[in-house]
Amino acid sequence: MIRLENITKMYPNGSKGVEGLNLHIKKGDFVFIVGSSGSGKSTLIKLLLKELDPTEGEITINNVKTTTLTRNQIPYLRRNLGVVFQDFRLLPNKTVYENVAFAMRVIEAPSRVIRRNVPAVLSLVGLNKKAKSLPNQLSGGEQQRTALARAIVNNPPILICDEPTGNLDPDTAWGIMQLLEDINRRGTTIVMATHARDIVDVMQKRVVTLKQGHIIRDIEKGGYDDEA
Amino acid sequence: MRPSTIKYFIKEGFGSLKKNLLMTVASIIAVIACISIMSFSYCTVTNLQYMLDQMEDSIGISVFLKGDMTSEEIESMKQQISSIEHVTGVTYVSPRDSLENLKNEWGADEDIFIGFDDQNNPLSHSFQISLDQIESQGAVIAELDQMEGIDNVEYGQSLSEVLVRVSRIFQIGGLLVMAVLGVISVMIIINTIRISVMNRRVEINIMKYVGATDWFIRWPFIIEGVIIGLVGALVPLIVGMPLYSKVVTVFYEYVPFVESFVHFRLTGDVYLFLLPASLIFGVLLGVVGSVTSIKKHLQV
Repeated sequence: MIRLENITKMYPNGSKGVEGLNLHIKKGDFVFIVGSSGSGKSTLIKLLLKELDPTEGEITINNVKTTTLTRNQIPYLRRNLGVVFQDFRLLPNKTVYENVAFAMRVIEAPSRVIRRNVPAVLSLVGLNKKAKSLPNQLSGGEQQRTALARAIVNNPPILICDEPTGNLDPDTAWGIMQLLEDINRRGTTIVMATHARDIVDVMQKRVVTLKQGHIIRDIEKGGYDDEA
Repeated sequence: MRPSTIKYFIKEGFGSLKKNLLMTVASIIAVIACISIMSFSYCTVTNLQYMLDQMEDSIGISVFLKGDMTSEEIESMKQQISSIEHVTGVTYVSPRDSLENLKNEWGADEDIFIGFDDQNNPLSHSFQISLDQIESQGAVIAELDQMEGIDNVEYGQSLSEVLVRVSRIFQIGGLLVMAVLGVISVMIIINTIRISVMNRRVEINIMKYVGATDWFIRWPFIIEGVIIGLVGALVPLIVGMPLYSKVVTVFYEYVPFVESFVHFRLTGDVYLFLLPASLIFGVLLGVVGSVTSIKKHLQV
């Protein structure tokens, strides 16, 4: 599903984002990317989203070599990737329903399909009663659920989460993790960058640990600090 | 493109314009100014041209020859005049024909010509010269002045020259002012769209993540420019059309006899050109403004 081969990313100022990364993620995997700030987590996420291009190496997503895609093809790559950020990134002047529908509208889904899928995904994340609320009327957890609904409404095979629980209190964070696990169980591959030690320890999923741009650990089922 | 997508673009375009009302109004006023100047210059120039055309039909140059010329000399002069550039016809008028013409013009009062006949005719040999266009009159007269045997040259000098000059001034002046206002309009539109782009940064960012194509992101901004251009073109049309017919009516009414020697172009004829020209030009200003702004400020 996702394959990184010998990926190096050098920034123009000479600093190294990641170096010599080799990573293979299978369909249906749930992978935590952990490591301290500056370890290369953000660079890795940006490379997957093709916000950045690697200086060296090749990335394949869903059998497509993303490193050679042209500008015009990038949107179609991104339709395979749902994204959730730490800061939610909702549109403040649109309701929950509109925020989710927005993701369908901009890829020109038929209105009929939008009217069918948005309520379905809202009830999946438990927000069907909040459809008409604006983001500032929601709690942090509800906002992140909205963002999650937006990320999965187009049914992407891969969901990329960048610190999705970073702004949430522990209880709310667990709610989001349960949702992610549900989504994963339905076949979606999930890549989640996180600092949340307790979450990683309890979930016992695959853990890839980065340090200074290198993969220093890759454990099939493990915790935050487990030895390989 | 789906109808729902088009509806979405238009809604977004209008939404941005409303959110950014002050700049929207400024852009529209700039376009209105530009298109009003275009309309005004066009109305003036087309009417002057129209009047000149009417005069070209009636006005030519009359050349009166010195008294003692043989018919061979007259014939050779006719050849010479015919060969001048822009001359399309030369008609010889004998003193006798001139006398007849005069008598006819005076009609009932032709009595005053009693005593004048073929033997006693004070009138001279003359030529009626017609030209391809009134603008070339000056050049032809300069040539005629060089020729021997000519006593006097008469032509509708002052009025036609003034009309030609005024028409030129309006044409060049109008185009210049239009160009300046056009550039100003485009610059204001560029700024308006820039602010819209800034206002929607977060939205554009999300659109990119969920896989919107570059063109999907660009369209609402182009529509914004088109709306500015269309409204800016419609205002001068809606105000200008009745204004033009009013001005023409007033002119006919208050300037005595004007109707008997000049006619203005009909409102319908003038706007047959101005309607599409204004709309096309307005939309063009809007599109050029928004596309330039998108190129500069929208990194999709």
